Amino acid sequence: MKHLKALNQKAQLLERAVAEDKVEEVVAMSTVAGCTATVDPGWEVDAFGGVAGLCQPMEADLYGCADPCWWPAQVPDTIINYPDWNKDAPSADKDWRKLDSVFPKDAL
Amino acid sequence: MNRKSIAKTLGGLAVLTLLAGNASAQNRINVPNLMAERCSICHADELGRLPRIQAQRKTPEGWLMTVVRMQRSHELRLTDDERRALVKHLADTQGLAPAETAPARYVLERRLNTVESFPSQQFTEMCARCHSGARVVLQRRTATEWERLVHFHLGQFPTLEYQALGRDRDWFNIALKEIAPALAKDFAYGDDAWQKWKLVKPAPVEGQWVVSGHLPGKGDFNATLTATLKDAQDANAKDQYTLTLAGSYADGEKLSGQGSAVIYTGYEWRGKVTINGVAYRQVFAIEGDTLRGRQFVAEHDEIGADIVAARQGSGTSHVLAVQPAWLKTGAKTRLTIVGNDLAGEPELPAGIKVLKVLERTPGRIVVNAIADRQALGTHKVKVGGVEGGDLAVFDKLARVEVVPPYAVARVGGDGGSRPKVEARFEALGWATGPQGEYRVGVVPAKWSVAPFNEDARRDRDLEFAGSIDGKSGVFTTNNAGLNPKRHLSTNNAGNLTVVASVANGGKALNAQGQLIVTVQRWNDPPIP
Repeated sequence: MKHLKALNQKAQLLERAVAEDKVEEVVAMSTVAGCTATVDPGWEVDAFGGVAGLCQPMEADLYGCADPCWWPAQVPDTIINYPDWNKDAPSADKDWRKLDSVFPKDAL
Repeated sequence: MNRKSIAKTLGGLAVLTLLAGNASAQNRINVPNLMAERCSICHADELGRLPRIQAQRKTPEGWLMTVVRMQRSHELRLTDDERRALVKHLADTQGLAPAETAPARYVLERRLNTVESFPSQQFTEMCARCHSGARVVLQRRTATEWERLVHFHLGQFPTLEYQALGRDRDWFNIALKEIAPALAKDFAYGDDAWQKWKLVKPAPVEGQWVVSGHLPGKGDFNATLTATLKDAQDANAKDQYTLTLAGSYADGEKLSGQGSAVIYTGYEWRGKVTINGVAYRQVFAIEGDTLRGRQFVAEHDEIGADIVAARQGSGTSHVLAVQPAWLKTGAKTRLTIVGNDLAGEPELPAGIKVLKVLERTPGRIVVNAIADRQALGTHKVKVGGVEGGDLAVFDKLARVEVVPPYAVARVGGDGGSRPKVEARFEALGWATGPQGEYRVGVVPAKWSVAPFNEDARRDRDLEFAGSIDGKSGVFTTNNAGLNPKRHLSTNNAGNLTVVASVANGGKALNAQGQLIVTVQRWNDPPIP
């Protein structure tokens, strides 16, 4: 790591965790029912159980992560299951209001 | 009648006929025929059987998710009525027994601040990394079907091998050779519980249920929930009921609602009730002449009440609850004992004096009572020899805790499709007696929030994430979307400490919880 310098908050958090030998511990952390524990990057929480290491803002990386189904249980994946989820919202930053929930309401 | 009005009348008749036709069509749906017609296109084996479907058992919500996926991804064509009938049939014939759902009902009841914990770290990392572990626990499959589920996951979500906890191990072989056999053993298709449950005669549903509930942020309530069979003549409607709810909260506000319920698998009560103009959902499990579960706001499942109920006239009286569930020594308190078929005098433990009986019906007894130190501790109460409810007596609290200790709220609104998800906190009091520490119950508190750590302080989460109501403990998040006032225009997310302050004599007792305010969820099936 001596030739690498942490530039952003997330990298600084990771650097701190490495120094404290806590990487394994935080990665394996569980969270509440239905939130994802995939935290590289995370959706609800980051690898340290907070929100400072999430994509900021979320919209900046939303499609980059939704497309390869990084958190398919929380965000519709556009690679396989919901290819048209964001077809009316080309810019996540500007068009996030057009994104709808994918499970039908009152289906039972 | 002129030509125009005749046409209008005929048009109206046609609409009525269509509506009547839809209703009877719903009742006429023959699900085995429907499955033979639609499901067999893909699933039939050489003998016309449906081995994949027949090798799985699930909850109503589990089957719903499967059927909806078939509609979405595999062009299964179903009307809404056909889908409901199909899910009902599958849950009835290939459902889960009460003992099988018991460990994971929290997810059906949408108690989504439950921190899951499983004995197997491998299971947690393999299954509960992306979705709730409960989603798995609430399924039964043959060994072959568990194996196919592994293949399904890799095909549907191929990047799972590239994520942390995937790329750092031989994911596929672990999933196929270790996890699938373990699931086949722990969640076997042919469990005894299901074989036994299929022989049990379902408990009666029709009648009046006395309900005791507690809604965080609002308080206790009790009510009568009346279930009436929708159409006694129609065999297809045998598990469908109309519902009427009438009762009141502890603060005097009335509860009034109407709706309907369907009973799946002989015990899974799923209700839709509009109460005081707000649409609620009920997820209850019937246990003989009692039921328990949760009633939550349809659009805000984080707002929900714990429910316990018992059916009037069942032949067995139950004392369900005492509201409030505690007495402070020396303080005259109005207590409501809730139960079914209550008969006889209320008998309170030694040291608790009934000053006056204010109301007595078969569903509830209201008294003014006062306790002295002799009664310190926890008790059951008796009515007509029937014991139940929980009543704690204390003079001072030893400590309080924040429940839930960890909660996730979400930004929302501001024109987007996802509503804000709030968080509701309560202060749970504990006292100490000769027998050790005992639970007093939910006590009034003053609420505040603070930055959870240095990151939250630096990012000014307190300023942006939302606010907590100092009296009710309800945290309301801020709007979704980018916030140009924040660093990198980031969202109104935050990591906060929730502080409860409870008056306890001359000194306040404080307790803390953690609140994560995070971003929206766009994939929100009934089992997350």
